[in-house]
Amino acid sequence: MKKSAVTIILIALLCCVLLPTLSACDTASTASGTDKLYVYNWEDYIAPGMVKEFEAYYFEVTGRRLEITYTTFDTNETMMTKVLKGDANVDLICPSEYSIEKLLLAGCLENHQDIYKDIKPELDRLNAEGQNITLSGMSSLGNGDGNIIPDIMEVIRPMFGALDDGKGNVYDMTEYMVPYLWGTLGILYNTSVVSMEELEEYGWGVLWNIQHNEELENKILMKDSVRDSYAAAVFYMYENTVYNRGVHKLPDGISPTYNKPYAELTVQELINCTDDAVLNAAEVALTEQRDHISGYEVDFGKDDMINEIVYADFAWSGDAMWAIEDGGYDEETDTYQLGYYVPPIASNIWYDGWVIPKTVRNKLAAMLFIDYMCRPMSGIQNSMEVGYSSAVSKELMRADEDVCAFIEENDYDIDEYFDDEARYPEINENLGVMRDFGSANESLVQMWQRAKSGNGISVSLWWILLVIVLLIGIVVGGYFLLQALKLRPRKLKADKSDLSSDSGQDIG
Amino acid sequence: MKEKSLRKQFRLTKKVFGVPYILFLLLFVIIPLVLILVNAFLDSNNNLTFDNFKVFFTSSSSLTVLGNSLLVGVITTLICIIIGYPIAYILSKMSSGKILILLYVIPMGVNFLIRTLATKAIFIALGVELGMGTVIFGMVYNYLPFMIMPLHTTLSSIDNSYMEAAQDLGADKATVFFKTTLPLSVSGIISGVTMVFIPTISTYAISQLLSNGKIFLFGDSIQLSFEQGMYGVGSIMSIVMLVFVLLSNFIMNKFNRQGNAARRSLW
Repeated sequence: MKKSAVTIILIALLCCVLLPTLSACDTASTASGTDKLYVYNWEDYIAPGMVKEFEAYYFEVTGRRLEITYTTFDTNETMMTKVLKGDANVDLICPSEYSIEKLLLAGCLENHQDIYKDIKPELDRLNAEGQNITLSGMSSLGNGDGNIIPDIMEVIRPMFGALDDGKGNVYDMTEYMVPYLWGTLGILYNTSVVSMEELEEYGWGVLWNIQHNEELENKILMKDSVRDSYAAAVFYMYENTVYNRGVHKLPDGISPTYNKPYAELTVQELINCTDDAVLNAAEVALTEQRDHISGYEVDFGKDDMINEIVYADFAWSGDAMWAIEDGGYDEETDTYQLGYYVPPIASNIWYDGWVIPKTVRNKLAAMLFIDYMCRPMSGIQNSMEVGYSSAVSKELMRADEDVCAFIEENDYDIDEYFDDEARYPEINENLGVMRDFGSANESLVQMWQRAKSGNGISVSLWWILLVIVLLIGIVVGGYFLLQALKLRPRKLKADKSDLSSDSGQDIG
Repeated sequence: MKEKSLRKQFRLTKKVFGVPYILFLLLFVIIPLVLILVNAFLDSNNNLTFDNFKVFFTSSSSLTVLGNSLLVGVITTLICIIIGYPIAYILSKMSSGKILILLYVIPMGVNFLIRTLATKAIFIALGVELGMGTVIFGMVYNYLPFMIMPLHTTLSSIDNSYMEAAQDLGADKATVFFKTTLPLSVSGIISGVTMVFIPTISTYAISQLLSNGKIFLFGDSIQLSFEQGMYGVGSIMSIVMLVFVLLSNFIMNKFNRQGNAARRSLW
């Protein structure tokens, strides 16, 4: 008996040892035969044909077949946890700015210029064979902005240009990342319930329904995402302070992080401020908001807006574009069912970019893929499919005949498409960029938990419990009362019934 | 001679068939539990720490959420008993009860996520505001069969002669029920309560879907912690949940032994 137990444990241990080696064998064997590329991207974040198109391009350029394994993630946090724990064996990732910062500081990313040096001999060989690979679309190789919108690079440089990891390494994010898609945070609203005047007057307050629009009460959706909802609360408080509204202002006093009064902080500073005072104020605002909204979502907001289950949604620009297009359109009055509004006083600009992690194996394919994504045609295809704006320069796209033909094919007017402010907002200092919160993230999550669970146990719940207890009490009490009443006139029979109950218990 | 003894050792006995099961348990139950236990004592840089305990037990948010979950669990279980017991009782009295019970069991074959999404669609179509009420409805709807099944099995297995004997001895209908049927079905009630209470305190998909994320329960809290990479605190929460599961199991077992009713319950 003991022996068998030992064997079982041995076998189990053997399994544990064997499993990783088996999977290691799997990856090693791929070195020969067709080339492989492992891409790790957001869900629904690329034009469907793009992967196949690139495989064909790779074959055309190098003469070798390529097999792309495309996996997806749904939040930055899931992806980061996987990459930081070393579980993601991939060649390319497409995270958001603040998680690129975190991965970069953790030393998980490769410098594109170093990789360029590694693949230079092979590129030279291919170019000598008649190819023309310049990788000129990439912004990370130190020769200008490539095909990327210069304004976006201008946002990135001052913020992420010199990241110090505290161990003597200074990183320039622009050398590690090429922007892919970008957008803003704003309010997706139903045009028949929320008026433009309301939005212009109350801005972010619409998400708190401070204008007391009865139709809107309990018909608002927020994002079930810590960073974004915190940003919304901060914008709202900033707005209240600037407009001097009576509720939910920024805290008084001086921020210990910036050595300035809170009221004087810029949007950029506020969005990344994790001072206790701001966290507490945001908690109050978010807790109160809970009583005015329908709930928190990350995926069904678009559908609920189109189906008019809710009338306002805190949304990312791409989701909003997608929803507006899918929603109704009244030809007579030329009005769309849904609209997207970014309060000009404060909002967030975000971007996702391609990075190459240290686990990269196929460096050539990874670099070619990034460069391919920077082509105007790839940019417009992805942008059209996903809804977010491509980071590829507007002017380059406009000048490209294929792009113009593609836009018209999709029933858009070219001028209208590129001049749409929802798609291409003016980039100014009122749009803040999120940065990694570092260790402060934990207190933020705690705050979010408290805000989401509201003011403890709701009173109604205690009422339900009380009613149930009362109900049981009445039934049981009533029974005993009934029995007592029955027993009184028939005192003689009492012994008898006792007897029967005793026997019942014995049997049981 | 030696070969023979070897062969004798490797005889295909019943025990051999247990080996895959034990292996499975080891790989997918014991090892993950050990991992949770280890994670509970590590900080984000894999150093030994007790801070995770401090974070959990001193923060009002996690304790409130835990309280919420327990309360929802208790309410769901009580409602399930109140609805489930009469149904099981009536069905056990009917000759066609065995067929009718299928009506309660068949929906269990449909994935609970699909059922919950359908419930949500109905609530939205009816214009009911999603919140605590809808969450409790969804929980009761999902776990009611788990209450009815063991109750029905126990109730229908009670020998009718006990009831007849009680009636012969002069007890009226109510007395018969409260003095014979109810005590004899205690084991069914207890297994029903276990089957409902334990899953409800750890549920999270139902609460999230039927309240649009507005009702935040312990399961949601654990999920959020792991999603945010806070493995330590998440592990502690999992352990607390495990303690509650074990505790309720222990209490139920105690009750069951005291009741010492017929152990013919299905579960």
